[in-house]
Amino acid sequence: MQSETQPSAIAGHQPKAFAVKKARTRFFGLTLDECIRVFFGGNAFVAVIVLALITFFLFREGGPFFKMNRDSIRVYRVAGLEYVDIIRQQEQDHTALTRYLFDIRMKVVKQLRDERGGLIEADLKAARLTVEKLLSNGAAAGAPELIQAQMRVDEFQKADSALTLEINASLAAFDKFAERYGDTVLPVRGLVSDIGEVATGIKSRYTENEDYKVARAQYLAAGKKTEADAIVLKEIDFKTEVAAITAIFPTYQQMNQEFAVGLKRVVNDLPILPVPALQPRMVRFSELTDLYLAGFPETEVRLKAWDQLAPVPWYHALAGFIFGKQWLTASFWQDWYGVVPLFVGSLMVSMIALAIAVPLGVGAAVYINQIASSREQRLIKPAIEFISAIPSVVLGFFGIAVLGQSLRALSQVEALSWIPGFPYSERLNALTAGVLLALIAVPTIFTLAEDAINNVPRAFKEASFALGASKMQTIIRIIVPAALSGIISAVLLGLGRVIGETMVVLLCAGNRIAIPDFTAGLAVAVQPVHTMTGIIAQEMGEVVRGSIHYRALFVVGLVLFFIAMLINFLAQKIVRKYRISVG
Amino acid sequence: MSTPAHPFVSRPSAARTIEKSTFWIFRIATYIILFAGLAVFGDIVVKGSSAVFGSFKETDRFPYFTNTFLAEAPESLYVFEHEGMKREMGDREYRAFREKETAAAAAAGRPAPKFKAESYVYSAGGIWPCIVGTVLLVVGSMTIALTLGVSSAVFLSEYAKDGPFVRFVRLAILNLAGVPSIVFGLFGFGMFVIFFDWNVSLLAGWFTLAFMVLPVVITASEEALKAVPKGFREGSLALGATKWQTIRSNVLPYALPGILTSSILGIARVAGETAPIMFTAAYVVRDKLPWDVEKFSDFFFQGVMALPYHIYVVSSKIPQNAYTSRVQYGTAFVFLGIVALIALSSILLRNNLRGRYKW
Repeated sequence: MQSETQPSAIAGHQPKAFAVKKARTRFFGLTLDECIRVFFGGNAFVAVIVLALITFFLFREGGPFFKMNRDSIRVYRVAGLEYVDIIRQQEQDHTALTRYLFDIRMKVVKQLRDERGGLIEADLKAARLTVEKLLSNGAAAGAPELIQAQMRVDEFQKADSALTLEINASLAAFDKFAERYGDTVLPVRGLVSDIGEVATGIKSRYTENEDYKVARAQYLAAGKKTEADAIVLKEIDFKTEVAAITAIFPTYQQMNQEFAVGLKRVVNDLPILPVPALQPRMVRFSELTDLYLAGFPETEVRLKAWDQLAPVPWYHALAGFIFGKQWLTASFWQDWYGVVPLFVGSLMVSMIALAIAVPLGVGAAVYINQIASSREQRLIKPAIEFISAIPSVVLGFFGIAVLGQSLRALSQVEALSWIPGFPYSERLNALTAGVLLALIAVPTIFTLAEDAINNVPRAFKEASFALGASKMQTIIRIIVPAALSGIISAVLLGLGRVIGETMVVLLCAGNRIAIPDFTAGLAVAVQPVHTMTGIIAQEMGEVVRGSIHYRALFVVGLVLFFIAMLINFLAQKIVRKYRISVG
Repeated sequence: MSTPAHPFVSRPSAARTIEKSTFWIFRIATYIILFAGLAVFGDIVVKGSSAVFGSFKETDRFPYFTNTFLAEAPESLYVFEHEGMKREMGDREYRAFREKETAAAAAAGRPAPKFKAESYVYSAGGIWPCIVGTVLLVVGSMTIALTLGVSSAVFLSEYAKDGPFVRFVRLAILNLAGVPSIVFGLFGFGMFVIFFDWNVSLLAGWFTLAFMVLPVVITASEEALKAVPKGFREGSLALGATKWQTIRSNVLPYALPGILTSSILGIARVAGETAPIMFTAAYVVRDKLPWDVEKFSDFFFQGVMALPYHIYVVSSKIPQNAYTSRVQYGTAFVFLGIVALIALSSILLRNNLRGRYKW
């Protein structure tokens, strides 16, 4: 210590030996106190280490995904699957057009029914209801009023089926047209399925061979030479194999020409719809067909330019993940790992949750901090904190058991049918999950926003009152803006909480892996979605360790990790940057 | 009366009406939240309590009663019709019943009765192994988290001087708090289950959960340490105590109640999370109880059943109907009850504590 080594202040005077001397125990040159300090310091570092370890292990398990994905895309190209998919795209576009036709037909039928059959349907429904009521009231089988009611049901049923027949008859020309339109694609479809089979054959033989290679390597590593030699490897000569696929090009060209001519011929005589108001749709349809036909030469050009041996650049694997619109696993054709549908699902559910939670959470924070009596405060604050303790899996279960049905039943109430998306039939969807997630986000938002409002200096409020502002003016113009940075960061942290939530979305979001159909407008909220957290929890237990699918899940985890970090960072930044300086 | 009694009473005006109605909107927002919480809570308590309280049974040993739901392992439920009566039985009971009936029929010379049973997994019996597993997970992970977290907080509040290192550590803690629980699950799977080769085990679950709850514990402990007045430390140091002696005798004892109560919130979180233990510690079903191990070391390397995971399994993997709702709601009720009790005690203790220490 200092006192032991301090030189004497007065020169020439021998310093007295320090009276109390104590030998200090030293470990590695450190005193006990320093050791303790190092121990605590090391523990403080644990948070940093854990964060580093999380990053490291996510990369360790997920990193090889990109190499594997690149290999997968390479095989996709080399084995000719990509070539087949170019033609298949053409066929699928045609299918989309036929769907458009069906859509028109449905609209026509609905219109005709509304015009003429609306009454019949209502009557039928009423008559059926009467029968049910009579039966449940215990009417005897032969009771006259029951027989009468049943006769009415029969009568309306007859009228209804007659109407259906009539509508079908009036649509006969249209149906014929649709049928001919659909038939034009048949040769191309046949071709696609033929060469598709060849391509999958090549691919499966390749993967089989790869498996054998692995097995052989394992045998060799184990020193079992005889077994290793027993495995016969058959290298696939992609060039010659795929030549069988590309050889169809002249046939395809021929076919395509006939296809185009046939389509044109069909579209040239458009049927007249029984509902004139919908005729423009038919015209639009023929325009769409023309557009489709205009794309034919391009398909041929692409086929001609297709190079089986073109290298797959490394960024394809990355872009295929980040921008890929398909998450398709265990497919016989080709697996795709695109995060977009999951990301969109996560985002959508979170947005629904925030749309509900932000007004409620912030409103409650303002109410509790500024308006409520102190007794209300003492009761409600712990109650809301208490809500945050409800485990998410319990909320998820509540969603499955109660909320899903209740919301669906609510959507089927006639008076609410003006709400977009109502009524709906899927019990588990983004809305159900969003509502429950809102309950998870509310306590977070409430607590942090209340803190922020509480931190607004009293002087602000008093000055506002002194200037004659009313209570509401003070709250809305002074207090909330002053606390805004805190409120925004509260909302961001709420978002972080919601986007990382697993069990609720896994149980209640419907788990359909597809990008929701945003053309439906706000009704998109009642579509089932799948989320990033949900997919990890659902598929992690089933995948083979070390497979590309397994690694893809880790990469999804990595994405989640970085999103969470980003949200955290933004929340802190906003608080620091826009904090009002007091004094 | 048309005129107010004195001139400062505010008269009704449009602005006042607007103000009033705006405040009502805020009030309604608050009560919607409470109502939603109450709805979830109420539904589960009402439908779940019958599973627990309806399962008491007499026994011939002390304490002369048992609760089949709380004290038994899950079984499959068999629903069948026998001699015109609809019966529901658990797996063991059903087998015994079938043997008895078949034997009786053989003795009477009748053809053996046919049983056509619908079965529902996990729907009979109880959830005892899940309760045990959850308690083990919570105790283990909180021990780890408290050791690491309190030490870390002691360093941050007692030893560290503000600087880049401490700022870095604080940033890491903040960020760690924001990491989604499923990412902790992946991390635990990648590190403990695969890299350390611990398999799905208690130990892997403990560490995963401990790391997840670490930020909560650190923040709570630091707050409690900061609340101990400076004079306590200065007085001790002035009397010649070393830093460690000061901390041990004059800081930690006074901070301990605060640390523990705030950490209870962490316990609620640990008990309530499903995602981190899904791949690290939880089994769907396990026949043996955790202490049925051959070697002592096996204890740490076994998976357990856990309440949150059991809820997930019974609510997603079996259909919803009258026969399965007992186990579904019952498990949710027990789980919610445990977590609510923990959270409630934390809130109450904290309120109590606030009033006790005044310095």
